[in-house]
Amino acid sequence: MSHVVVIGHGMVGSRFVEDLTTADAAGKHLVTVLGEEAGETYNRVLLSDVVAGSRGWSSIAMPSPVHPRVSVQRGTTVRTIDRERQDVVLSDDSRIPYDHLVLATGAAARVPAMPGLDEPELPHGVHVLRSIDDAREIIAATLNARRAIVLGGGVLGLEAASGLARRDLAVTVVHPAPALMDRQLDEAASRVVESTLRRTGVDQRVGVAAEEVVVEDGRLRRVRLDNGEVLAADLLVLTTGTLPRVDLAEGCGLAVERGIVVDEDLTTADPRIHAIGDCAQPPCGASGLVGQGWEQAHRLAGLLTSGAPAPATTGVGDVVRPKTTGVDLVTMGICGSGRTDDPALRVVRLSDPSAGRHLEIVVRDGRLVGATAVGAGRIGTDLVTSYTRQTPLPADPAHLLLPAISPATSGTQRDSPSLIPDRATICRCNGVTKGEIRTEFASGATTVEQIVEATRATTGCGGCTDALCGILDWLHAGDAPSPTAPAAREDGFTQAKHEQDQAETRAS
Amino acid sequence: MTDSHCPYCALQCAMTLTRAEGSLPPLLVAGREFPTNRGGLCRKGGASAELLRAPDRLTAPLVRDRGGELREVTWESALDLLADRLRAVAAEHGPDAVAVFGGGGLTNEKAYQLGKFTRVALRSKNIDYNGRFCMASAAAAANRSLGLDRGLPFPVADLDTAGAVLLLGSNVVETMPPFVPHLSGARDAGGLVVVDPRRSATADLTEDGHGIHLQPVPGTDLVVLQALLHVLVAEELVDEPYVSERTTGWQDVVRSVAAWWPERAEQVCGVPADELRRTARLLAGASPAHGGAGAYVLTGRGVEQSSQGTATVTAAINLALTLGLVGRAGSGYGALTGQGNGQGGREHGQKADQLPGYRMITDPAAREHVAGVWGVDPEDLPGPGLPAIALLQSLGTPGGPRALLVHGANPVVSAPRADAVVDRLRALDLLVVCDIFPSETVALADIVLPVTQWAEEEGTMTNLEGRIIRRRKAINPPEGVVSELWVWSQLAQRLAAPGSWSTDPAEVFDELARASAGGRADYSGLSHARLDREADLHWPCPATDAGEAPHPGTPRVLLDGFPTPDGRARFIAVDHVGPAEELRPDAPLFLITGRVLEHYQSGVQTRRVPALLAAQPTPFVEVHPLLAHRLDVEEGEELELVTARGCVIAPARVTDRVRADTVFMPFHHPGAGSVNRVTNDAVDPISSMPEFKVCAVEVRPVRAADTIAPEVLA
Repeated sequence: MSHVVVIGHGMVGSRFVEDLTTADAAGKHLVTVLGEEAGETYNRVLLSDVVAGSRGWSSIAMPSPVHPRVSVQRGTTVRTIDRERQDVVLSDDSRIPYDHLVLATGAAARVPAMPGLDEPELPHGVHVLRSIDDAREIIAATLNARRAIVLGGGVLGLEAASGLARRDLAVTVVHPAPALMDRQLDEAASRVVESTLRRTGVDQRVGVAAEEVVVEDGRLRRVRLDNGEVLAADLLVLTTGTLPRVDLAEGCGLAVERGIVVDEDLTTADPRIHAIGDCAQPPCGASGLVGQGWEQAHRLAGLLTSGAPAPATTGVGDVVRPKTTGVDLVTMGICGSGRTDDPALRVVRLSDPSAGRHLEIVVRDGRLVGATAVGAGRIGTDLVTSYTRQTPLPADPAHLLLPAISPATSGTQRDSPSLIPDRATICRCNGVTKGEIRTEFASGATTVEQIVEATRATTGCGGCTDALCGILDWLHAGDAPSPTAPAAREDGFTQAKHEQDQAETRAS
Repeated sequence: MTDSHCPYCALQCAMTLTRAEGSLPPLLVAGREFPTNRGGLCRKGGASAELLRAPDRLTAPLVRDRGGELREVTWESALDLLADRLRAVAAEHGPDAVAVFGGGGLTNEKAYQLGKFTRVALRSKNIDYNGRFCMASAAAAANRSLGLDRGLPFPVADLDTAGAVLLLGSNVVETMPPFVPHLSGARDAGGLVVVDPRRSATADLTEDGHGIHLQPVPGTDLVVLQALLHVLVAEELVDEPYVSERTTGWQDVVRSVAAWWPERAEQVCGVPADELRRTARLLAGASPAHGGAGAYVLTGRGVEQSSQGTATVTAAINLALTLGLVGRAGSGYGALTGQGNGQGGREHGQKADQLPGYRMITDPAAREHVAGVWGVDPEDLPGPGLPAIALLQSLGTPGGPRALLVHGANPVVSAPRADAVVDRLRALDLLVVCDIFPSETVALADIVLPVTQWAEEEGTMTNLEGRIIRRRKAINPPEGVVSELWVWSQLAQRLAAPGSWSTDPAEVFDELARASAGGRADYSGLSHARLDREADLHWPCPATDAGEAPHPGTPRVLLDGFPTPDGRARFIAVDHVGPAEELRPDAPLFLITGRVLEHYQSGVQTRRVPALLAAQPTPFVEVHPLLAHRLDVEEGEELELVTARGCVIAPARVTDRVRADTVFMPFHHPGAGSVNRVTNDAVDPISSMPEFKVCAVEVRPVRAADTIAPEVLA
């Protein structure tokens, strides 16, 4: 029996424990999870929904591993890692021995260095958005705030801004790069997102940096921008990125760059210590998306149980889909600042800014390797499917940019009776064509009842009743020429339909 | 004039059969007023009398001679030979070496007698049936979550007043057209939700404001359901009083959907997040907790024939429980049973692990009760046998069965990975098939026994709503054709089986009723005579003491509580694993299968009706215009579909009803275009139901210059 100690009980740490207990059918491992926060694990991705008021607190709880071989210690702070003795040392100096140690310590919100934010404590009115407590504080602050600034127009920043706008605050996003979400969007795409956001009540300053947070009496008053503008505000949310929490790894001498350096197998230079999620820096780089952390959890669970990492699942990979009200946006793979001039890449674009639409796909060797879809609805969803499953592309990839429109497939229910060909099936259930109805009509079946008697049409699912009535009306009109076809009665029934209803009344 | 019911699906439309002396076909069929079909029939039912004059009807027992030809023999010699060979196989390899494969189209009497025959006369544990292909996952999930599996726990007509109906993986417009009018209430309220990767004829019913069609990536229905439940929790639309008073396990389910927020679910299931939210709100709006007109969640084969079918149905039940629908008048969850007696067929002992009355064969009390009715020692009853796919895979293998009796099934066309099934059938020492027509499975048989069909026999069927109905004889069978009840009685005598072996369906029903007494599906208060008088009898319908009024039957079960130990429904947390087969570079598209209106199951019956065959003469492959364009294929050109299991060929039908990443084929045909030759036989871990509905496929045109391997055309 080996002892696996997991430091961190957030979205990735708890998922790892769940995956490990599922994969470990033989019961090789005992697991101890050390979590800093005292409460239940929650879904950090959904905090911005809570800020927006579009969901309740109760729905962000995450599965808590309940398993006889798992012990969860909440509210526990780890002081150091003693690699020599293979112990984790807690703040009370007690020691927990490990055979495998998994660091899932996550990341902390980054507070930018600038005047006004240089004290250890943030001033009143200034918040980061990383934990459930942060979300609670922001919601409390919205009760009295009227003007909010969101510093940092990445995914979280836009979600937060959109959420605050839903709470009827005047919101301005300040973003120093030339495009919002500049990891994912180029300037053209950003412009479309900007105008859509503006319509939902979110103002922006893009390509403009904040220089100073003006604090008076310990309380936020204004933010001074590098274009000379000064924005008054009573709420400032900092969404300026994260810093991987690497102290424990650093303290025990493991390699740390931006995050804890791990190899393909999520293992540090110490074969007994692994890192997953936001604290880790794998060779491919960290995306900051929970999907990557969950994928790592799944693979590491496989490695620790079978010796080989579990094969990659059909993951959502690097798809970015902000939950911003009124802004329909999804990006994946090569997009935004990640796009290069590589001649092997075929880039096809549809730019329709005044309609709030912008689409771009990146194709290599007949496969979709990247896409940006703004205001594209179902097309964006289909691009994700095509990208994550690597399905074959149309002969001309440009077809991916518009909904496929083909001639109406059946048409018989809607077309004017004169346009329906004789061979068209009117009653699918009984295989009755328009031609057969005409034939029966010609041989004397002139009411709905008689046609039904002769052909069984309408007696299956009944869905063709209106179509049959329409054809009969048309046949009557041709049969007894009159200036106009039988007009719809005032109550909307046609004559033939009326006859049928009468017949039904008689029959019942 | 004889009142009876249709020979096809589980709706069992009521019909009147009138003798038409001297004419062909010899019966006239007319729809009859009944709560299910309200006088309606589909094209198959309307033309069902044609089955009585099909020119290749089996009318004499056939035995394969030394030259490999099937030759007509007398019943006496066929039965003597069969009994001898069954005895020989059992003597050499043990009783379990004789296996039985039944069907969901058999009457209750036959399904019951077949289970008894296997356990008592053959003394074999190995019986299972084609219902494993259609109802096993819904049954497993309903039993686990609700304590009871009755397809619809309410009469079909209850659907009429619903404000919303969520239809998961069911194309009722083609599979049971006279059911469709029951959706009109939901349609009028804009509340019909159809979940199908294909824009089926049923999905069309949602157009023009009648509802919503969700078109998920094949194999991801479970994600759709998880996301719907997630939204109900997030937006606080849960029926809290119902959840706290009538269920257990809620918190686990809340946690299990925490990771499926709509924007993430969208990335896996391909349904836009906004559509998921809109659907969840629509269902909640129709639910009783929010003052709605009532809502129903219904599952079909599209979501059940999956390696995570039980989990998917469980998620559907979780959704229904969250909305407070189950066990409430005017709302509910149900599975739309497929085969004519798919319900009764799974209650009376045709299943590997069950005894009559929906009892478990591992339950000592059940064994004792049933053994008492059968007049045998409980110790002599075998234990559970192998479920269908494992049974078929074991045929003719070392330690596996050496002989197989097939009744009312055509696994050569209907089983997944059918080429492998053919290999297994060929490896048997003895294959015996009872059928009405020379099916593709009959073609492989050593002994063929011709039996009666629908209008030629008496019996009962249990329809999709648990209503027991009478099938009545309207015409004499052709000379030489007998009922299976007679076949089993004859064989039982020859095998010196204990107990009695009636050939009278009414007597067999009475015995079935006694055997079912006290079981979950209790028929003990029923008889043919009572069923002739009353048409509204749903099980359970237990016997009452002499002098007491007869039990009225139970049209709506679960209203007063759930038959679980604590009387509560169980929320069971499930999660999405995905289909057994992922897309891969050499199989980059999804293959899904389904039905067309004109055909039924493996088509053995409907392909013999000229008008139906003329309407749908061949299999076909639905391909999206963009895929057709990429393949440079036009309407009608032959396509080759290659999966890990083999290859089939069929002409293209170019239509935007399928997704561009998916092709669709109907499964009614034998030969080169028989799609089940390439479907996946991976099974659900709980129900053992195979994953017919999704696998990975490569599609390419068959050009004139190409040569096709001869085995494909075989």
